[in-house]
Amino acid sequence: MEGWDPNTKSALTKIPLLLTKAGPRDGASWTQRLKEEYKALIAYTSMNKSKDNDWFRISAANPEGTRWTGKCWYVHNLLKYEFDLQFDIPVTYPATAPELELPQLDGKTHKLHLNMVLLSNLYSYYSILEFKEINSVFLLSFSGSPRFGIAHALCLGLAPWLAAEIPILVDSGMIKHKDDVASASES
Amino acid sequence: MDEELLELQRQFEFAQQAKSSIRLSERNVVELVQKLQHLQIIDFDLLHTVSGKEYITPEQLRLEIEAEIRRLGRVSLIDLADTTGVDLYHVEKQAQYIVCNDSSLMLINGEIIMNSYWDTVAEDVNERLQECSQIALAEIAAQFQVGSELIVTVLEPRLGTLVKGRLEGGQLYTPAYVARVNAMVRGAARGITVPMNLSALWGLLQSLLQEMEGASGVAVGGSFFQSLFNGLVKDVQILGSLRAGVHWTPNVFATAQKECVDSFFSQNSFISYEALHKLGIQQPIQFLQSRFHEGIPLATTFVHPSMIEMLDAAAEDAIERGSWTDSLSVLPASFLPEDASKILSLCPSVQKALKSNNALLLGDSYVFSNGFVKDLFDRLEKEMETLPLSVLDLHPAKAVKFGNESSGDLAESTETGSESGFSKQVLEKGSKKKKGKSLGNTKTVAAESLPDNQESVSTKSKKNQRKGKATSSSQISDSKSDSRKDVEKMKEDDLTEFSKERLIQKILTLVPDFEDQGAYNPETVLEPLANHLRPMLLSSWKERRKVALTGNAQKMKQLLDTLQRKLDESSLNMQLYEKALNLFEDDQSASVLLHRHLLRTQATSMVDILLHHLDMHNKMKLGIEVADFQNVEAVSLSSGERIAIAKSFPGPLSVKAVAVVEALEGKVSACWLETRSLLLKQIMPKKIGEVGPLFCSLSIFREAFVLHGSKYLFLFLHMFSGLILKKLDKKLDRTLLHSYRKDLTSQVSAETDPVSLLPKVVSLLYIQVYGRALQAPGRAISVAVSRLKDKLDDSAYKILMDYQGATVTLLGLMSAATGDEEDCTSDRILSKKELLETLMPALKGLVLRTS
Repeated sequence: MEGWDPNTKSALTKIPLLLTKAGPRDGASWTQRLKEEYKALIAYTSMNKSKDNDWFRISAANPEGTRWTGKCWYVHNLLKYEFDLQFDIPVTYPATAPELELPQLDGKTHKLHLNMVLLSNLYSYYSILEFKEINSVFLLSFSGSPRFGIAHALCLGLAPWLAAEIPILVDSGMIKHKDDVASASES
Repeated sequence: MDEELLELQRQFEFAQQAKSSIRLSERNVVELVQKLQHLQIIDFDLLHTVSGKEYITPEQLRLEIEAEIRRLGRVSLIDLADTTGVDLYHVEKQAQYIVCNDSSLMLINGEIIMNSYWDTVAEDVNERLQECSQIALAEIAAQFQVGSELIVTVLEPRLGTLVKGRLEGGQLYTPAYVARVNAMVRGAARGITVPMNLSALWGLLQSLLQEMEGASGVAVGGSFFQSLFNGLVKDVQILGSLRAGVHWTPNVFATAQKECVDSFFSQNSFISYEALHKLGIQQPIQFLQSRFHEGIPLATTFVHPSMIEMLDAAAEDAIERGSWTDSLSVLPASFLPEDASKILSLCPSVQKALKSNNALLLGDSYVFSNGFVKDLFDRLEKEMETLPLSVLDLHPAKAVKFGNESSGDLAESTETGSESGFSKQVLEKGSKKKKGKSLGNTKTVAAESLPDNQESVSTKSKKNQRKGKATSSSQISDSKSDSRKDVEKMKEDDLTEFSKERLIQKILTLVPDFEDQGAYNPETVLEPLANHLRPMLLSSWKERRKVALTGNAQKMKQLLDTLQRKLDESSLNMQLYEKALNLFEDDQSASVLLHRHLLRTQATSMVDILLHHLDMHNKMKLGIEVADFQNVEAVSLSSGERIAIAKSFPGPLSVKAVAVVEALEGKVSACWLETRSLLLKQIMPKKIGEVGPLFCSLSIFREAFVLHGSKYLFLFLHMFSGLILKKLDKKLDRTLLHSYRKDLTSQVSAETDPVSLLPKVVSLLYIQVYGRALQAPGRAISVAVSRLKDKLDDSAYKILMDYQGATVTLLGLMSAATGDEEDCTSDRILSKKELLETLMPALKGLVLRTS
């Protein structure tokens, strides 16, 4: 786990690990698993709140809890850039990581395009961003460790990605702040 | 959907809805603070830490610093900067502020130190001090890492309170230790009985301490001992006096010294400075004067007035008795002559006598009564009168020497000496010139004679070259230098007559008292006495000499006149006779015979007169009385006498005179001529000056003389005398001849001896016949007679011839006769004599008739 930046690392350790190893098709086990997922998310969210580092809202889109939707955001140059977030729990979960999707950014970058399926392709993506080793470790540990859940995926996957990718995208003009978009449309 | 899951769902929802706590980033905070400062809401200085993450107000910083100081007691500013995390600059500023406002703090070498810290330090030091009994300040300073000066300033106010000890020369001592060392010092100081250099004493004590304490003992400084010592002196625990801080003289010593001096002085009424030096008194005179006010300091001793009284009595006695005394014999043996002279000068009787010229102080210690000296002087003077004046002839240089010896005032006496010498010379010279002839004054002519000599040598050497002989030149020069030496020697001898040694000897013989003094060398008294008498004797002698000289001057003039007259006379005679010799020029042998005869008779007497007069002149010049210089008409000297006189002349004159005599005897005829000419030249410089060129011709004559022998001596004499003496003119010739003839006639008429009649008759005949005066020896008579043959008539000639023949036979018989034997020769002599006597009237008649 060495190589992670200290914030990520400390955050990760504070997220409780999941005990039940079950996928959506495992019935009662999955419910148990879902409960643990919720606990982990609560812990992570409250932790973020206490650190004034709240950056996402998600909720289960179906009762089974296999589809999740919400929003995530990043503040760059005092401007908040907000994106939709959605993902499905794959049936082979937790052996297979869920694919986190940011539909607004789809097509904005080849990297993003490639990596809409974040966790599965994390290796190649972070290699480019020189997170190669970090993410390979993460990927391995995550994929090899069913004790990581959704909270872990968000913490380890999406948060670093946003921090790394959004400033580049903003500077290159690929994404614009919503106020600018609004003013541009008005004019 | 079970309840739990829903609950969790709700909880998650709730958690997400919950408001997140607001947190500002550091950047935001910095920006905010800047904004606040910009808006002047924060209107005071705000400091920030070195890390840049914190702001701090100066007050807070000050508080923190103060807290740190109170905690530690001693903080370095650098440490403060570290602990507060504020830049050193601000820390220093605040520290200064704090220290200024708090008197219990001090800022030293970048450290803030509280007073209480020093108290603890002092306590520490005290603890250690009590353990070790002494600590070096440097050690403490090193331990606490502060300067030793600082330690001193800190410790000094705490000495005796916090630190129970004593600070001395960079060392801290406990009172016990101090007391111990003090006891040592006291013991040592009390033990000293003689003056001592204290630093040496401290050295001893130091080594003693080190022995006691072993190697660990710290060296105790001499100043520590000194301060202890000073304290002891102040407390009158030890008695004595300290000079220059290190020279300690114990009272014991001083009292002993004083007692010793007192007892010696009271017993002997004098004490020498040397004795005081031995007692260790450096300035004896001051010491003694302060102690004995009535005492008198002399050169090497200090005396009580009673000593003067004693000496005074002795001196007075000597003066009154007309005697002398040596004050040293009266005074104790340790007195030196300087002391004696000083003490004598203090004697009232001596002072009085000196003032009234009754006494004389000589050689520091001798008192002579004037009567004694006068008496001695008179006797000496009498003695001196017996000395011939000639030996006292002094060279001016010698006079100078006398002056030096007698007075010691070198420059003055030299001047006067040489001056008097010169003036005398000039005077003599002047008088001589006035007279027109100056007989040899060696002093004045010394310079003149030198070129003369050279001249003579050169002319001579010329001659010698022609002669091919190189002997005489060197001879002359040799003799010259010899004579110079002789003169020098003579003068040395003169000096000894007046020398100290001689004088001392004389005084000894006159006053045998001095010999009796025995114990010491009589020289010591006699030398100053002689020195005193000598100038007096000299001056008296000089006076006498002067009187004699002035008396002689008149006589000398007369003498010279007579000499001139006599020389004139004899030379005229000589010329007269020489004329007659011209008759015999055709007969060589007769001529030579006659010449020689003339030389032997006339020239000898001339030289004799000359030498005699010169001798007398010389004597007169030296101031010797010459009783009857007029009665020198008949001088006839043997050759030995001549040489003796010639040799008695001073200097070059002697050489020349000797040469003259030798020449006369036909030894060195050439030399004779030359030296005679020089002799004459010297004594009559004026005349010679006039006839100077003629000397060239003289030298030619000289040569002629050398070539032809004695014949030319006469010629030369004639020429020479003619030049410098009277010339034989016709009138003079006639008068002379006339007187000569008259003389001869009277002689002939009175003559009774038949033998001696003949030459006189012949001479008379010559005068009658030729008008010339002939002086012929017996052997030349026959020739002279034969020459008369033509002039006389036959009868007269026959008488003459007969007489002459008879005379010759008579003389022949007389010479052949054995004297006392009674034989026929005596008869024959008698008969011949009778015959001659019978002929005598005829012969006489022959001459007298014709006249």
